[in-house]
Amino acid sequence: MDNMTSTGNSTPLPAMPSFRQVIRRVQRLPPTFLIGSVVLIFYLILALTGRYWAPYNATKTGTGPPFSPISAKHWFGTDQLGRDIFSRIVLGTDDVLFLSLSGTLIAMILGVPLGLISGLVRGWFDEVFMRILDVIISIPLLILALLVIAAAGSQLSGNSFLLIGVIAVVYAPRIARMARAVALNLVTSDFVTVARLRGESTLWIILHELAPNATGVILVEFGVRAGYAPILIGSLGFLGFGVRPPTPEWGVMISENRIGIVTSPVTVIAPALALALLVIGLNLFTDGMARILGRSTNQNP
Amino acid sequence: MIKEIITSSNSLLHVKDVSVDYWSQDRWVNVIDRISFDIQTGESVGLVGESGCGKTTMLYSMVGYVRPNSRIREGSVLFQGEDLLTQSKSKLQHIRGKLISIVPQNPTTALSPGMRIGKQITETLEAHHWKSEKYNAENYAIELLKMVSLPNPEKILPKYPHQISGGQQQRVLIAMAISCNPKLLLLDEPTTGLDVTTQAQILDLLTELRAVTGMSLLYVTHNLGVVAQICDRIGVMYAGYLVEIATRHTLFRNPSHPYTQGLISAVPRISTPNVKQSLILKGLLNRSELPAGCPFAPRCDFSLPRCMEETQELISIERDHQVACWRWQEIPSFTERISRITSEVPQQSTAEGWNGQRSLLAIENLRAGYITERVGKTYKRTPKDVVEEITLDIRPGETFALVGESGSGKTTVARAVSGLLPYVSGILNIEDRYDLKMSMRKRSDDMLRSVQYIFQNPDASLNPRQRVSLIIGRPLQKFFKLYGEALRQKVIRLLADVHLDASFYDRFPDELSGGERQRIAIARALAAEPKLLLCDEILSALDVSVQANILKLLAELQVERGIAFLFISHDLAIVRSLAHRVGVMYWGLLFETGRVEEVFNPPYHPYTYLLLSAVPEPDPDNVMPTVRMDTGLIVGAKKMTCPFAPRCPVKVGQVCEVDQVPWQRVSQTHQLRCFHSVEQLLFIQEKIA
Repeated sequence: MDNMTSTGNSTPLPAMPSFRQVIRRVQRLPPTFLIGSVVLIFYLILALTGRYWAPYNATKTGTGPPFSPISAKHWFGTDQLGRDIFSRIVLGTDDVLFLSLSGTLIAMILGVPLGLISGLVRGWFDEVFMRILDVIISIPLLILALLVIAAAGSQLSGNSFLLIGVIAVVYAPRIARMARAVALNLVTSDFVTVARLRGESTLWIILHELAPNATGVILVEFGVRAGYAPILIGSLGFLGFGVRPPTPEWGVMISENRIGIVTSPVTVIAPALALALLVIGLNLFTDGMARILGRSTNQNP
Repeated sequence: MIKEIITSSNSLLHVKDVSVDYWSQDRWVNVIDRISFDIQTGESVGLVGESGCGKTTMLYSMVGYVRPNSRIREGSVLFQGEDLLTQSKSKLQHIRGKLISIVPQNPTTALSPGMRIGKQITETLEAHHWKSEKYNAENYAIELLKMVSLPNPEKILPKYPHQISGGQQQRVLIAMAISCNPKLLLLDEPTTGLDVTTQAQILDLLTELRAVTGMSLLYVTHNLGVVAQICDRIGVMYAGYLVEIATRHTLFRNPSHPYTQGLISAVPRISTPNVKQSLILKGLLNRSELPAGCPFAPRCDFSLPRCMEETQELISIERDHQVACWRWQEIPSFTERISRITSEVPQQSTAEGWNGQRSLLAIENLRAGYITERVGKTYKRTPKDVVEEITLDIRPGETFALVGESGSGKTTVARAVSGLLPYVSGILNIEDRYDLKMSMRKRSDDMLRSVQYIFQNPDASLNPRQRVSLIIGRPLQKFFKLYGEALRQKVIRLLADVHLDASFYDRFPDELSGGERQRIAIARALAAEPKLLLCDEILSALDVSVQANILKLLAELQVERGIAFLFISHDLAIVRSLAHRVGVMYWGLLFETGRVEEVFNPPYHPYTYLLLSAVPEPDPDNVMPTVRMDTGLIVGAKKMTCPFAPRCPVKVGQVCEVDQVPWQRVSQTHQLRCFHSVEQLLFIQEKIA
């Protein structure tokens, strides 16, 4: 907005102040948001460009002696089959990002509308729906995920669509509950009463009255859930129910290399750190986002 | 400039050049600018001003309390010769509560909800090392509660705050504030959230305590009526400046600052309701648009270029009267300005010729309430009635006001009419065509359109994420199928109707002031072209000057469009100046209906009398009756057939509690229900007065 008005001015402004303005505006953003963004951008670059510069093919065995230590040739050493850990981590990034983000997105698409409707219409629908969710939520996360995988059958095991489905099924009830809480808070507000008095349909109220006010909370929820999804994928991989072995996946790598944890700890620590950093980055980003959104509601015109 | 500083020997508190800044975005913003005044021993000083003028900040700054993100830039507050602003924290802690104590605005949040009342009082005593040979702490707490006229203090001590009423909570807070015999009591809008009747009792109590203890008061409020009743001297604040300070008689009779003049004339009065037009204070207070000079200049009718540049200093114009306006001599006097406007008689819809007209809304024997919980048909609980036997009718183009204390069921009636309540019995008809007993889900579009609801708080009734264009445009889309350019034109016309220009079209509600938001809410209701507007306390969240503007707008709209209003308000002065007919409610029952002048002047029904006598008029000569026969709202009492009976000063006897209260006709348009005959009531009221 400011840039538009400044270019509209008759006095030509040099480029420098606007650059300074940008710097100042960036400085005003919450630090957590900045750090989170840097981490996420770093991972995105890895995911998008990794295949062009990764030193080795991720599945190529015998690039060096098994469990060789850190060296110039193998930055994070090699695993028991002599595969290069660094390349495997880099090339595994896109899978983790794709699976966790798309899984969470589908969970959102399922959970948010159901939760909002449930909070708005109340009555028996709400009661029944919420009790079903209670049952699902009472099953521990990992066990629920394993149950879904087991139910899907052995042919599908390791399929990435199955994994996305698992994330969606596991997260959707939790997201629906959050959306319902948001809706419950909003339906009592006067502007929803006004819409009801105008005879608006439930759909209209959800789309035009509730959803715009819920976006902030929903975005934050998305970030938090997406931040924990890599852990779930990693855990499943570790247990052998996730991505199938030759594919580079951090959880699978931790599992495969755990026999070398004493002799060559870097083979376990490196993928674990990669996973931890991604989760921290996503959470910082979300935290910053929540602050920005919370602030913008009351910002001056 | 002559700047007179009085430092007489009996000055208790001397505030000199105090300035306060807030940190906003990336710089310090001045919120209080060089305010100086003093408080004498035993004196009661009032600080008034609109919201955002810095009066509360001033009050807290005086005891050295600053919010995070703010600072006291300069100045001194001398209390008994010591500067409070340079004291150490521990010293201040000793002074606050013991020598200077504060009664905060909201008693519900000021009392700790999880601690018994007695404990909260004794805690204050312990904090200040209170000692007495006569009492132990608990007995002294009882004494204190007796001092603030709480009945059965022994029973209140073990209670939790939520178990007593709001007025009682405020009394407890006053008891805590006076527990250490302070020299100065600072009151921050202590009666704002309370009913008029409760407010009157609290004001009585403060006057009495002041007489007994000889302490000084500083009373901060937006309510000019209150300061006119209990303050000796009054300071008027505007945008962080003290613009005028004078004794109350001088201030109300001869206000010399244009702002004070506008403010005083904007307050609706019960005694002189015919002055329906006031000096209009144009615009509003927006800190970012203030000029370098006099902050009031952009809104002032008399401003000159010099006003915009030159900062105004308080100058003495007579004894005990200071004004911050260099043109004070040239500005016409208040009486002159007022007489000029009263001569212009405003056009206004009149009550004449209505008698033959068919009523627009007819309510007969309405019984409405809430169903607390509804889980399936089998477990349906019996609904709780809030209002009973309500019978009234509203004619087209008429304003019918419902008055009464909070909890009397005014809003329930409006909600029943709008269809928001699930449970209604009785007859509710609009234009003899539609049966309003239908819940809003079953109502036709046309029916929904004809009744529109405006809520008390525009912050909550406008969706913060919708632009004005959608807020006003949506009813047009829904009811009139307007789209595109036609819709845009109509929205802009509606904005013009509520005196807002087209630049508001794309804005969000949080970019508007409170008054502008309420105008948007009114425009949205008008968009549906209703026949009946339900106005639920729509003015109570607004400042006096904004209220006056909206009142004027409503009167205009009514004349133009012939819309009927069901106007719900606890402010009797507003009702007196806006409404044609009025209904008085108490505990879910309608007690009196009639034309507003018949009901208010003189009041017949004892409850109407209690309500009216509790209204503080902004006129120091028109003092409230000090002898109050009101015992206050009785919490948890059993509802009698006449629910007012336990509180009635002129109760007939047993019949009031057992028999059905009869309706009596005073005139063709005026009726009331009481066991006393109309003649008796008139006689009683005359005797009291």
